[in-house]
Amino acid sequence: METRLIKKELLPGLIKGLADDTLVYAPVQEEDDVFFRVLEKDMEPLAEFGNTKNAPKNFFFPQAETMMRFMKKERGSELEGTPGDAPEAVLFGVRPCDARSFVLLDFVFNDPKYRDPYYMERREKTTIVSLACVHPPYSTCFCTSMGGHPFSPEGADVLLVDMGNDWLAECVTEKGEKLIEKLGDLPRADDEVLARKKDMAEQAASEITTKVPGKEIKPWLDENFDHPFWDTVHVGCLACGTCTYLCPTCHCFDITDETKDSEGRRVRSWDSCMYWLFTRETSGHNPRPSQKERWRQRFMHKFKYFVDNYDAIACVGCGRCVRYCPVNIDIRKIAQDIAKL
Amino acid sequence: MEKNPYVPMPVNVDKIITEVTTKDIKTFRFSFVNKEDEERFSYLPGQFAELSIFGKGESPIGIASSPTDKGYVEFTVQKAGVVTSELHSLAEGTLMGIRGPLGNTWPLDYLEGKNVVVVGGGFAFTTLRSLTNYMLSEENRPRFGKITVVYGAREPGLLLYKDELALWEKRDDIDMYVTVDKGDKDWEGREGFVPAVCKEVAPSSENAVALICGPPIMIRFTLPEFFNLGFSKENIFTSLEMRMKCGIGKCGRCNVGSKYVCKDGPVFSLAELDELTPEY
Ligand SMILES: Cc1cc2nc3c(=O)[nH]c(=O)nc-3n(C[C@H](O)[C@H](O)[C@H](O)COP(=O)(O)OP(=O)(O)OC[C@H]3O[C@@H](n4cnc5c(N)ncnc54)[C@H](O)[C@@H]3O)c2cc1C
Ligand code: SF4
Ligand code: FES
Repeated sequence: METRLIKKELLPGLIKGLADDTLVYAPVQEEDDVFFRVLEKDMEPLAEFGNTKNAPKNFFFPQAETMMRFMKKERGSELEGTPGDAPEAVLFGVRPCDARSFVLLDFVFNDPKYRDPYYMERREKTTIVSLACVHPPYSTCFCTSMGGHPFSPEGADVLLVDMGNDWLAECVTEKGEKLIEKLGDLPRADDEVLARKKDMAEQAASEITTKVPGKEIKPWLDENFDHPFWDTVHVGCLACGTCTYLCPTCHCFDITDETKDSEGRRVRSWDSCMYWLFTRETSGHNPRPSQKERWRQRFMHKFKYFVDNYDAIACVGCGRCVRYCPVNIDIRKIAQDIAKL
Repeated sequence: MEKNPYVPMPVNVDKIITEVTTKDIKTFRFSFVNKEDEERFSYLPGQFAELSIFGKGESPIGIASSPTDKGYVEFTVQKAGVVTSELHSLAEGTLMGIRGPLGNTWPLDYLEGKNVVVVGGGFAFTTLRSLTNYMLSEENRPRFGKITVVYGAREPGLLLYKDELALWEKRDDIDMYVTVDKGDKDWEGREGFVPAVCKEVAPSSENAVALICGPPIMIRFTLPEFFNLGFSKENIFTSLEMRMKCGIGKCGRCNVGSKYVCKDGPVFSLAELDELTPEY
């Protein structure tokens, strides 16, 4: 694995430089929050921040996207075309938890039987640069409980570690190596730096003190679909959907048609299991009639169903849903409470 | 290039048959505009497809024709909401789209060499019709044992595929029991609810498999009859419905426990359903 050093103050400039001829998505400050944005000429990418408010999933799986266009013809509407190829892109500044979410989303969208062409086209053409969490930024972080690590390279092409005066760049994939080559002639990191990084990684992980049971509660979930505990989880839930929209691993979507005059498009947009319409059938029958069943679905999907299907928990422990839930429903506490039952 | 699984294949609406006196159930016969699509749409009984009308949307509908019927595919659709109402207003000769085939099939390999009991109620007979025609075709008939069909509707005017039922009745390699809850003055056939007819017919569970589709209430009363006859949960199959969008296990809405009805279903044995959460 190639490891290089980048002078601390040079990094934002190098990233800006990439944006001259490549599409670059990077974290930028907007008022009190940090968001991933397409980096425009006058924008400064952030390299030092907690985490972005939005998960980076939208670059591969946008909140709304055109799947195909159609046109009304004499004998009925006909297909006009599907979106063209995606440009090569760099996604800079992803936290290791969010980078891991791509590995989980790949299970769904890169399923060998039905590959999702929209997601995969952008995913394959994008190089992901993640930033290790030298000091995990929030008290709500719990990646270490979900199989992640603040220094994990999983899902990234390049992992950057803030070493004080330099960024240590670890090329994780060939794609990552190509990107680092493009940044110019960078010095190799020596053994001292790599040893120091190892210590820092241990220190970072030890700073995450919240322990959330993950696979430990799977046997309970397997047996207790009807347990009275499920009557307590959703209490207060407004069904706003914030948790599912901010979640880096939530992938549910809707497909709808829009028309104007004789033209139209079929659109895919994020949907949420928190909404009553999500499973409501035309007959009026709804297999998940109340917020109780919907919350059970959200939790079970992440901690049981996804594990059954892909042997991984569909939560990376980013803590967004905990921080932004307007009524303070806390997925960590649900898991912890189950462990006590 | 790999095909985009969301893009429907263009089809021509060749024929529209109004099946019932209430006029809200029609069978649509489609042919593919492109020959390659016909080959790509290689299906087996039990599967479904998304019927697509640009500007309105898509609906998942079971395939009612049999793969042994060459040159066309058929779907029987009840008028319900936006897409199905638009379908019902179409004229023959219209172009629209279908996407599929999707989902699993009736357990054809498992049925081979066994006696097959087909039980249908109301308009949930569509993929069972596909299966029956498939088994009755010349090339397939020797692969299966005795075939028994119990099919019921509320009243004679609500029975689907009447001409075909009459043809099946004439054959000696299938036992037909068509029933209505209540007959009318012209009805000379059987009267009685499906569960009661199943009890009376009492198909042997010896080397036999039952495939049951119908309204929930019919299924609820029919299952005990089959358990009494000695059918195990491994030998009773049904087909589930859940609201769907993608049909390929991605949009996340049609799961029952860990299984997606669109991808892992819609056909499940009762034994398999016991393993899943009762949320459908
Ligand atoms: C595997 C499968 C096979 C089916 N086979 C048949 C059939 O052979 N004949 C038939 O008439 N109907 C069948 N249905 C039910 C049919 O899909 C719904 O009646 C239909 O989608 C209603 O769509 P709509 O646009 O008219 O209604 P709207 O209420 O306007 O639909 C909104 C959307 O919700 C979804 N939806 C609503 N209800 C259902 C439902 N019960 N199941 C799945 N998706 C739903 C669809 O995506 C639909 O486009 C089947 C459903 C499934 C899942
Ligand atoms: S469930 Fe919550 S903590 Fe877990 S990945 Fe999603 S938003 Fe982050
Ligand atoms: S319909 Fe999308 S997952 Fe089944």
